[in-house]
Amino acid sequence: MNIAWKEIKRNKIRFLILGSIIFLVSLLTFIISGLANGLSQDNAALIKDLPNGVFYMDEEAEETYNLSRIDRSIQDEILSKHKEAAALSIQMGFLNDENDKQRSVAFVASTESTLFENVKSGEIVLDRSLEEEGIKVGDTFTNNQYSSKFVVKGFVDQKKYSHAPVAYINLKDFKEIYRVEEMQLIFMPGGDLTLNIPDLQSFSKKDFLNTIPSYSAEQMSLNMIVWFLVVISGMLFAIFFYMMNVQKIGLYGILKAIGVKTSSLFKMMWTQMLFITIIALLLSITFSQVFNMIAPKGMPFSLTATTTGLLSLVFLIIGFIGATLSGIQIKKVEPLQAIQQGEV
Amino acid sequence: MTVFSIDEVRKTFSNGEVKEEILKGVNLSLREGEITALVGASGSGKSTLLTIAAGLQPASGGKVLFEEKNMTAMSPEQVRKIRACKFGFVFQFAHLVPFLTVEEQLMLMLDVSELKLKKDEQKAEIDKVLKLVGMDHRKKAYPSSLSGGEKQRVAIARAIIHKPKVLFADEPTASLDSKRSKDVMLLIRDLTKTLNITTLIVTHDEEMLSFADRIIKMSDGQIAG
Repeated sequence: MNIAWKEIKRNKIRFLILGSIIFLVSLLTFIISGLANGLSQDNAALIKDLPNGVFYMDEEAEETYNLSRIDRSIQDEILSKHKEAAALSIQMGFLNDENDKQRSVAFVASTESTLFENVKSGEIVLDRSLEEEGIKVGDTFTNNQYSSKFVVKGFVDQKKYSHAPVAYINLKDFKEIYRVEEMQLIFMPGGDLTLNIPDLQSFSKKDFLNTIPSYSAEQMSLNMIVWFLVVISGMLFAIFFYMMNVQKIGLYGILKAIGVKTSSLFKMMWTQMLFITIIALLLSITFSQVFNMIAPKGMPFSLTATTTGLLSLVFLIIGFIGATLSGIQIKKVEPLQAIQQGEV
Repeated sequence: MTVFSIDEVRKTFSNGEVKEEILKGVNLSLREGEITALVGASGSGKSTLLTIAAGLQPASGGKVLFEEKNMTAMSPEQVRKIRACKFGFVFQFAHLVPFLTVEEQLMLMLDVSELKLKKDEQKAEIDKVLKLVGMDHRKKAYPSSLSGGEKQRVAIARAIIHKPKVLFADEPTASLDSKRSKDVMLLIRDLTKTLNITTLIVTHDEEMLSFADRIIKMSDGQIAG
């Protein structure tokens, strides 16, 4: 007989309260995690969506890609040896439309590569978010440092950098705007981190993301909130089951007296914990996915199935630990003590 | 035939440096199907003796022999198994599980005692025992809707459903009025005689002694007569 289920059925309100709290905490966790992931995409989709590989920048730049200037001879040597590698530069800047309205973009220019858009001089390829703002193929843009006009050639999906849409331009145009000859970075897909190139510093994709100003600070604070919520939910389980167990000390004692195994009492508590958590998680997953669909276009929100699954698993583990810790009382209950306590 | 015997059982409680001897070498035998009543003043050690005999607390010395096996030398798990399968308990309060109906209380006991009955056999057994205790009309009721006397009847049903060898009853009528006390004692007597269950009962109510086959008086941690 499943006494765990019988207790839930008989004490619906009590378990509904715990379930609602877990639902709210997990929903908040999913939403903040979705925002963290969305902001991360908004901040660095250009880099994150690249295949795994190694970034190189000038050793003297002290991990600030803006200051990196890779010597042309080194660049040529690497690119001739590694055909799949590309040199690239990224700079924040502005585009003025025909009505002189200024838009902030991240200019990206690269050597010929399949990893980045290759555009001709005077052409520009923009992130799709600008198309959603009404920009069309054939529209023209100017830049204060650029002598000619950029003609929009097309749009690409999910290419953001430092919370700005990416604008792919030709290398020649980039050099004209920023008055630089050298490239800032070299990206080698599937590269070897241990490959030592003189005067250059290597970075994994993850390490390079952390060199982007604000990226690590933003992610760290959001992830801290997520993990804090996870810990709170674990504590909620521990406190709630502790309070329920204190109320049931007498009952546990009597059950032990008539021969119920301590392990059966633990199983009863775990069953209840799993039941409540699974229902609460299913509801919060549904709600967060609905939110994912209806979230305003401008809101950086991205909640993947992997993140949801991983967080759900963490919730289950933390709930199990919380409930088990509070269940230590069950082990300590002496049947005699319960009998002497009086009616349960 | 002796089912249960207590041999030179001692129990000492320590309170800091002060040691108090509650049981001072008690010897007692319980005969099959017999109701033995333990009586005595408060603090005489009768309830302590019952709980040691029932495996609910360890003795400080001596032996508790059940079916010729020494329970004091057994592991807690072995003692639990004996409590679940061979013993039945009735306490001063019914101590029913608040979220189980009357029939579920008995079903739980059948599960605990590992009798391995089929579902329909379980149902038939529960119906039979509830009829014996006069509670068959309340089998779907929860404890909160039962009177004190009804709860105690269910507690008795729970104590005998798995056909225990020994029934331990600690002040089973103390929370009931005089009429209900007599009803409960009559029920215990009828059931234990019908099912041939050996019973050890602790009471301080002199009126209830008429239901016992043997009366043992305890005084100051010893059998006084």
